[in-house]
Parts: sequence; C-alpha cells; structure tokens
Amino acid sequence: MNAARAGITPIAWLIAPSALLFALFFFLPMGLMAMISLLTGNPVVQANVDFTTKYYRRILDDTYYFEVIWTTLRIGLLTTLAALLIGYPLAHLMARVRGRTAYAMLMMAVLTPMLTGIVVRTFAWMALLSDKGAINQALIGLGLISKPLPLMYNEFSIVLGLTHIYVPYMVLTLVGVIGRIDERLEHAAQNLGASPLRAFLEVTLPLSLPGILAGSLLVFALAISAYVTPILMGGFQIMTLPMLIYQQISSSFNVGFAAALGMVLLTISLVLVIAYNRILGLVSGQRDLQ
Amino acid sequence: MITAPSTPRLTLRLGRFCYLALNVAVVVFLLAPIAIVFVFALNPTPYIQFPPVGVSLRWFEKFFASRDFMNALWLSLEVAAMTTIAATLFGASAALALARGGLPGSRVITAIMLSPLMLPAILTGLALFQSYVLLDVGRPLWGLVLGHTLVSIPYVVRTTLAVLQNFDTRLEEAARNLGAGPLRTYFEVTLPLTKPGVMAGAVFAFIVSFDQFPVSLFLVSPGRETLPITLFNYLKFDLDGTIGAASVVSILLAVLVVFGLDRTVGLRSYAKL
Repeated sequence: MNAARAGITPIAWLIAPSALLFALFFFLPMGLMAMISLLTGNPVVQANVDFTTKYYRRILDDTYYFEVIWTTLRIGLLTTLAALLIGYPLAHLMARVRGRTAYAMLMMAVLTPMLTGIVVRTFAWMALLSDKGAINQALIGLGLISKPLPLMYNEFSIVLGLTHIYVPYMVLTLVGVIGRIDERLEHAAQNLGASPLRAFLEVTLPLSLPGILAGSLLVFALAISAYVTPILMGGFQIMTLPMLIYQQISSSFNVGFAAALGMVLLTISLVLVIAYNRILGLVSGQRDLQ
Repeated sequence: MITAPSTPRLTLRLGRFCYLALNVAVVVFLLAPIAIVFVFALNPTPYIQFPPVGVSLRWFEKFFASRDFMNALWLSLEVAAMTTIAATLFGASAALALARGGLPGSRVITAIMLSPLMLPAILTGLALFQSYVLLDVGRPLWGLVLGHTLVSIPYVVRTTLAVLQNFDTRLEEAARNLGAGPLRTYFEVTLPLTKPGVMAGAVFAFIVSFDQFPVSLFLVSPGRETLPITLFNYLKFDLDGTIGAASVVSILLAVLVVFGLDRTVGLRSYAKL
C-alpha cells in the first residue's frame, strides 16, 4: 500500500519479461484454443475455413459427454472431501505443535510425497492395491481372504490415489490459516467451561472456514484436471475430461473437438481460480486487520 | 492410591488419543506408498511380491542399462536445468517488480502470475501444442521448455514474494537515505536478502519440471520423451521392479531437495501460501 502511494519505481519494469511471456505463450495460446474450438479447420494451412458451433453442439447433444463431465466433477468432489477430512487434523496438529523438530518432521512427511511425482505415486498405489499387490498378498498370506479384493480399477482407487497426491496442498493451505488463529481464543472458551472439542467446533473451526474453502477449491481444481491417476488407477475403464481431451488428439486428431472440450475444462477452472483468489484475499484481508 | 478418573477426564484422554491416532494414520497414509516403492525396487522377483523374498539390485541395473530410460532421464535433466534458469530469471524479477515496483493492480497481476498453479496444466500443454500445430513448427525442444517454464514460474514468484514481504523494508530505506539509487539498493540490499527465496523457487522449478507430466504429454516429440512420460508408458503394460528402481531414483532426488530447502531457507516459510 505504501509502495503504491510512493508511485511506480523503475523496478516495475522487471515485470515486463514475464508479462510478455505470459501474454505470448499463455494467454495467446488459450485464445487460439478458443478460436480453434469455433473453426472448421486450420486457417494457416487450409483455405475456406469457416466458423462453426458443431463441436459445442456435439458436447451438448450427446449425454455421454455429460456423463464424462459429471464423472470428472464427482471424482473431484470426493477427492476434495477426503483430502479435507484427513488433511484438517494434520494441519491443525502442525499449526499447534510446539517443537521445531516435530514440526519439521511433519512438514517433511507432507513435502516428501508432494515432491515425489505423480507417476511414481500412482505406481506406488498400483503396487499396493493390484490383485498381486501388497495389501491383497498380505491378506491372502494371513488367510483372511482366498481371492484378491477388487481394490483397483474403480472410482474408489482413483479417489484414493488422487487424495494421496493432493492432500499436501490442502494441508499447506490450512496450516497457514489455522496458524494465524489466536490460540488464546480457544483457551478462553475452555476456561469458560467448554470442552476442547466444543471449543474447537465453536471457535477454531469457524475461523478457519476461509482456509477450508481455499484448500478445497485448490484440491478440486487440481483433481478435475488429473490425467495419470484416473487412467492408470481406473484401468482405462472410467473416462474423465482430461482423458477425453487427450484421446481426441492422440487417436482421432480431432483438434477442434479437443479445443472445445478444453474450453469446458478451462471455464470450470477459471470459475474456481477466481473464487479461490477472492477467498484467499479475504484471508489475507483478515490478517491486515489484526 | 489409584483413583478412577472422572468421566470428563476420560473423554478428554480418549479425545486426545483419537486426535493423535488419526494424525499418525494420516502420516502413515502419506509415507507408506513411498516406502512400498523401495520394497518393490529391491524385490528380486519379476512380479510384485509381498512379503518380499530377498534383496537385489537387478532392477536398478536394468534401469541404468536401459537406453530408453537413460535417454529419458537425461532429457528430463536437460529440460529441468533449462527450465530452472528461465523460470528463476522470469519469476524472481517479476516478484521484485510486484513487491517493490509500486505497480497499480499488483494484486491482480500476482494472481495472474500464480494462475498456472490452478489452471489445468494439461490445458497449458494442449493450448501450446495447438499453437505449434497452427504455426506448423513441429514439437521443438524449446517448445517443451517453454511449457515447463510457464508452470514453474508461479513457484519462484511465490517463494520470492514470501521472502520479500517478510523482511524489513527499513534496510532498503536506510540504503536509499545513504544515497544509493533504486538500482544500487536492489543489487546491494534487496537481492542478497532475497536469495533464499529465489534459491528455494529455483529448487521447486527444477522439481516441477523434472516431474512434469501433463504439460509434457502434448509437447514431447515421439521418441524423445521425458522420464515421467516414459515411466507412464511403461506402467501401462508392465508393473515390475524397473519402475520401482526409477521411482527410487526420483524419490531420492526429491528427499535431497527437501534437505537442501531446509538448509537454505528453513521449512517453516513453506507453510505460507
């Protein structure tokens, strides 16, 4: 705020390279994608290219595409819910833990998977859940089951894999927000006779609501755009929007239709991004007031 | 004398126990898959077996002897190195401008710079791919690096901004009062103090590029694929220890990076988004 009052300094020019890069290679390509989704062909190499709405009509006319979009959103919702339920307690512990070593170890537990790569982690879950995987073999070895449980190639395994991949994002968002809530408020409630659970439910939880919303939007946005986990953990059985987009390019080379599907995913994501920034703005706004 | 604990006390302890048990379970959930990768990488059998029957390094030999995997590993390292340099230069300068440039609407610009974090990376890949097709340039290596750079910049911007917003601006004012111009102040005061954030951002950019899948999906040229893409294509048909070995190599790299982060900046600064 003070900087704005002081006026623009020469340092402001340092934004220029990035601004140019984003304009040319991020926004322009996205704009071109929007254009391609409305054209009958490639105007650079083809003559007689016309405007068309046929790709969007194809999406609207066929219930199959609605099913794909709904599956994508459903997987996103379930993943978000699971990530919130297991991420909140860990974030709460990390925000309240006293020792620096304990904190660093918990942070390591969160960051190590985060930096481990999606393909590797999906492989790990396949090694755990497949018919010959660790869980089934251990259960058979113990004599608890005779036939392997169908743990993989269904929506459950996709959600499980995605939850593992995106729960660190939830935890990191929440740690910051919960850490900023004054612990003394909870203590005050307890001194007034509330049980720790009640103090948490009536003081900390409502105050962390913006963090819950921001983390949920982030995880949801990431989960609906996942490709690797749904394809491998779903065993090519369950179709999601990103899979459909890639399929349109790789097997049918239907660039126009892929662009139209891309625009659908982009629209959903943009709404989420704007909501996320609003909520995060609200969170930091609260900090400014304190 | 042993006295029976009163009921509220018992629920309190039970509550504490549940809270801790749940958190232990979450940490196990986070780390178990990574541990299992090590088990399978060291397992000698050609198929997944549990419990493991022995320890062998054959899958590591197979991984390091495989020309496909090695080409992919080197391409990934090459692309990640170029991405790190580009993303750090672009991201760090943008963060400086955002924190100290007095730009109008810097909040909106920050949001835009961070947007590749939340917008589906697969769309960044698709949009760039379609632009390259439209312009008929093929799938050049710089096109791949460009895609990786775009999705890595937000990490550099975020870590650099976090450091810039946390340090005492009076140091800069002091330099200015002592007669240093804005540029000299930046090079002699701001930049050295920002280094931890920039370094952390560079490390993140490297990891993001090294593990990048969705952007690469559309932008790698057939026959010249990065490691994650090669791993993915292998995983579609085989589930043997080679993937485990390749994964262990990636994980060890990641752990090294986390240790490096702790050494350079300390892990606490990553709690802030």
